[in-house]
Amino acid sequence: MTESLKTHARRSPIDAWITAHATATTVREGMLQADILAPTAVTDPTVTLSEYSWRRRLGLKGPAAEQWLAAQGYTVPALGNHWAVTAGVLVARLATSEFLVEALTPDAQARVRASAQTLYGVTRISGVYPVARHDLVLNLHGSALETLLRQICSVDFAPLLASASDAQGPLSMTSMIGVGVVAIATRTTDETVLTLWADPSFGLYFWTTVLEVATELGGGVRVHGLN
Amino acid sequence: MMRLPPVKGEWIDRNTPVDFQFEHTAYTGLRGDSITSALAANGVQIFGRSFKYHRTRGFLSAANHDVNAMMQVSANGRSTPNVRGDVTRVESGWQISAVNTRGGLHKDRFAILNRLSRFLPVGFYYKAFHSKRLFPWWETMFRTLTGLGAVDLKSAHRTTPKRYDFCDVLVIGGGPSGLSAALAAAEQGAHVLLVDENPALGGSGLYAQAGDPSIAAATEAVCARALNHPRIRVLLSSTAAGYYADHWIPVVTPEAIVKVRARAVIIAQGAYEQPAVFRGNDLPGVLLASAAQRLMYRYSVAPAQRVAILTANAEGYAAALDAVSRGLDVVAVLDLRSARGTDSQALADELTRRGVRLVVQVEPVEAIVGRTGGVAHLRYRVGSTDTTLDVDGVWMSVGFAPANALLHQAGATMRYDVALEQFLPDRLPVGIYACGKVTGHYSLAARMSDGERVGISAATRLDQTEPAPSPSALLAIRECPNHPYPIFAHPEGKEFVDFDEDLQIRDVINACQEGFDSTELLKRYSTMGMGPSQGKHSNLNALRILAKVRGDSLTEHALTTARPMYHPVPMAHLAGRGFMPERQTPLDADHAAVGAVWMPAANWRRPEYYAIPGVSREAAIAGEVHAVRHGVGLIDVGTLGKIEAHGPQAGEFLDRVYTARYSNLKVGMTRYGLMLDESGVIIDDGVIARLASESFYFTTTTGNSATLFREFGRLATWWGLPVGLVNLTGQYAAFNLAGPRSREVLAPLTEMDLSDAAFPYLAVREGHIAGIPCRLMRVGFVGELGYEIHLPFDAGLDLWRKLLDSGKAQGIRPFGVEAQRMLRLEKGHVIIGQDTDGVTNALEIDAPWAIKMDKPFFIGQRSLAILAKQPLKQTLVGFKLPASATDRPRECHLIIDGDRIAGRVTSVGLSPTLGHVIGLALVDPTVANRGHFQVRIDHGELIEATVTPFPFFDAAGARQKIGATP
Repeated sequence: MTESLKTHARRSPIDAWITAHATATTVREGMLQADILAPTAVTDPTVTLSEYSWRRRLGLKGPAAEQWLAAQGYTVPALGNHWAVTAGVLVARLATSEFLVEALTPDAQARVRASAQTLYGVTRISGVYPVARHDLVLNLHGSALETLLRQICSVDFAPLLASASDAQGPLSMTSMIGVGVVAIATRTTDETVLTLWADPSFGLYFWTTVLEVATELGGGVRVHGLN
Repeated sequence: MMRLPPVKGEWIDRNTPVDFQFEHTAYTGLRGDSITSALAANGVQIFGRSFKYHRTRGFLSAANHDVNAMMQVSANGRSTPNVRGDVTRVESGWQISAVNTRGGLHKDRFAILNRLSRFLPVGFYYKAFHSKRLFPWWETMFRTLTGLGAVDLKSAHRTTPKRYDFCDVLVIGGGPSGLSAALAAAEQGAHVLLVDENPALGGSGLYAQAGDPSIAAATEAVCARALNHPRIRVLLSSTAAGYYADHWIPVVTPEAIVKVRARAVIIAQGAYEQPAVFRGNDLPGVLLASAAQRLMYRYSVAPAQRVAILTANAEGYAAALDAVSRGLDVVAVLDLRSARGTDSQALADELTRRGVRLVVQVEPVEAIVGRTGGVAHLRYRVGSTDTTLDVDGVWMSVGFAPANALLHQAGATMRYDVALEQFLPDRLPVGIYACGKVTGHYSLAARMSDGERVGISAATRLDQTEPAPSPSALLAIRECPNHPYPIFAHPEGKEFVDFDEDLQIRDVINACQEGFDSTELLKRYSTMGMGPSQGKHSNLNALRILAKVRGDSLTEHALTTARPMYHPVPMAHLAGRGFMPERQTPLDADHAAVGAVWMPAANWRRPEYYAIPGVSREAAIAGEVHAVRHGVGLIDVGTLGKIEAHGPQAGEFLDRVYTARYSNLKVGMTRYGLMLDESGVIIDDGVIARLASESFYFTTTTGNSATLFREFGRLATWWGLPVGLVNLTGQYAAFNLAGPRSREVLAPLTEMDLSDAAFPYLAVREGHIAGIPCRLMRVGFVGELGYEIHLPFDAGLDLWRKLLDSGKAQGIRPFGVEAQRMLRLEKGHVIIGQDTDGVTNALEIDAPWAIKMDKPFFIGQRSLAILAKQPLKQTLVGFKLPASATDRPRECHLIIDGDRIAGRVTSVGLSPTLGHVIGLALVDPTVANRGHFQVRIDHGELIEATVTPFPFFDAAGARQKIGATP
């Protein structure tokens, strides 16, 4: 087997959309990402979508899951339906014994990648059940964020957005345009961001539908690259 | 009619003219005018025709209930039917016409129906359709005659968003009581959403002034406070159209329906003024006094020059003062009562000072039409003396019906208050409140006080589980606003009770006499209240007539509950934006790129086959089958349900769920799984693989994956088994590399040992292919050497491409669902849901090898034990047709035995491998045992099929176990 066959490209759940719309791309953590969009991208959007599926993440559940995470050096939220960020790694407690871990910063990617290799390896860890997480991950932000949410979800996100923090907070698991999502609200220096995780098989539907609504509200896509 | 001088608070912009056409005539209104106020300002008095008798009609309420003033509006290439002319603001360029006419408003050919009314008795529809022979004739007739506006099918599709909103307290109604309630709730810290159907707040506080501007000024002050309050949001031109459980309220805005979830709801929608019922009460120019007030103060339009006011309350005298203040000539105020109340008398004194003639103990006889088509005279009677007035307007102010549709829908109980002659809320559900006229408070001060009390109560009782105390006791009633029976029959009829359906007094009486003498029966038989206004101006009067005919009291009757939406909603709003979640495997774009023809599979789409230019569908599918049988093919099976079960008792869990045994399954091996319901009916199947002693990985059918995952969780909890279940359906890609040359394709991409010895048939292995962590199962659904490969979603596309690249030398082809169906049919493998149905039990598909009855328990086991003692009702058999057969049955074609149905075809196709038609059928065992049966195909022809053992091909399964020579 040649060396080229020993490595593989990760594909975003919205790979087809990126391929169709990006005029320049880059690869982050092995996954193709849009760097520049076609000229139709809005310049002063009221609400924006940005994609972070490329981040390294892992999921696990089971009676020893919390213990395993702690042993790996991750800070685990004490309460269910809460999240915490430490050293650039988000740990979300989805239930008493179910967790989602994601590297948020460039520095943290290698660490989570290594943990994922251990977790998903052939060697089983007693009491720890790996949960594959190849989710579509997107951030929603902008002045029309609440307006957008009120068109795509029947849940009142005002309390969650009000709890936005850069370190910890509650999370919500709900259905949005017919797709189950995990949602958290974070706060940067100048804006509130809602991050969503959705099943990748719904990824293209979810992205294009939310983008369609956002576009009607004067929004668009925010990419991480040159524009 | 004419435009009046400016007045404070009017809705029109006198500097902005609006040019439009009505019935092909050009008119000019002002920005802010409704369609009908603009027409009235131009002297137009007739806006439409009535539904049944095609009588000319004008204003009634000017409050969104004038169903005879609905318009067809054409503008900007779009034609919209049934636009409410009394509230829709007219715009420049609109071309407007009346609905429900043939030949135009003034030359309506169906106006003849007005003369034929005696031949159209109540219950006419029921009576007409009694005759089966005449049913088609009547149906055609009714379809021709009825219907309001016309739907323009060429109009561009209008998409409307779907919206949700949330608040602590939803206040419905922006009149004085609603405003006070909103402010009081907000002051308590609640976040309030205030909804009003009008384009401005204030309600009757701004137009029912009794000639005293201070009332409007007080209301305006409250409006300003509400609009500027930081915790009050206001939705104008929006109607709360229904109530659903848990305080879900659909609010219809001009753009969309907003589904509002509130923690408490305050209903302050006021009351609908009710017409007096007398001959000619529907003539243009005869209207409700509140309608006239709206026209005078909102649009500065004079509804008449010489007006007689027919009243039975203080509100009528107040309207007379408003008319005088606005410069109209009030010919007389005619009071139905024998004596005035306290409030009326004070206003009457003022009117007397202004020279207005006042009469009491009046009985209206008839309104008489003039040459213009509008009312010209009003004849009334006092004692035995008839008097006729020359007027061009008659205003009616005889009482109100509370706007309590939402209260009914929310489950409130109502009682009829005899002193007030009005239905009042009796018991309110948790979180539901009412105030203002709905609760019997009519004066401005009483309404504001009631609103404040209710607003505080709602805001301070949020999320309490006990209902609020009963609505406040009425303040001392100084004067009853409602006449107990403002209904005056005339020997020649035409006293209209219901303006939507043209129902007269005699119609109600006749319906009662024909036995339809309860509210519900009367409504359905007579169609009372079933028109676009939903009985807002007719139900109460009809109930009064009903009670009189029955000789009882309104306290013994109840109003009907209008269904939500109780006010008509545009279809585009109801449709909203459709969200139809569609799942895609990571290979979707690549399938499309090579010609995939799609077919739905639950909420996924799958390639049915891959089209080749110049090649027929059948040939393309046959080619895919050939590739798998003789070379190698690759199919996307990522839509399968993919689930893991972990834990020491995972094996026991699966033993209970499926019919076979898995607790003894060797690590590294797979076993077929058949799942039943409690009655023994087959509901799903899949492959269960044991990855480790305490870890299983298994598949379900595509359509059942989500449902079964939930059910597995429920079962694990129910049985108390600590099983860790993980749903990987969307997180994993999967494809089946199948064919005698599949191993050749796979080997260059992996360092795994693929030999039969190391990786035998039915084994499962975990390893890397092209650097990607994968699970491989050697399964034989298509009957060839094959590897079902499961891998992370994000790596799916990469490996798919690499496999296709690796297989070029072997002539690899992607194959679709149709080819797979034929391949498995040749092998006789059953598809659950196609070869079985909702009643097929596990014994009927003849698969004893998959059922371990000696287990302690599995779902459906007990039922199978019972069924095993009974003869089979049907059995799954294979059949074939001779190679010479030209006609071919299709799936679901029936098997006929003499004069009865003996079964149905479940799968059938022309086998490219065997060269003749093969199939599976569920058949009566006695018929199957004959060795042949007849299938009725399209056009009724019967063709003979021969029962044949299956598998049809490679019965020993040698090819899938050890591969075959290509």
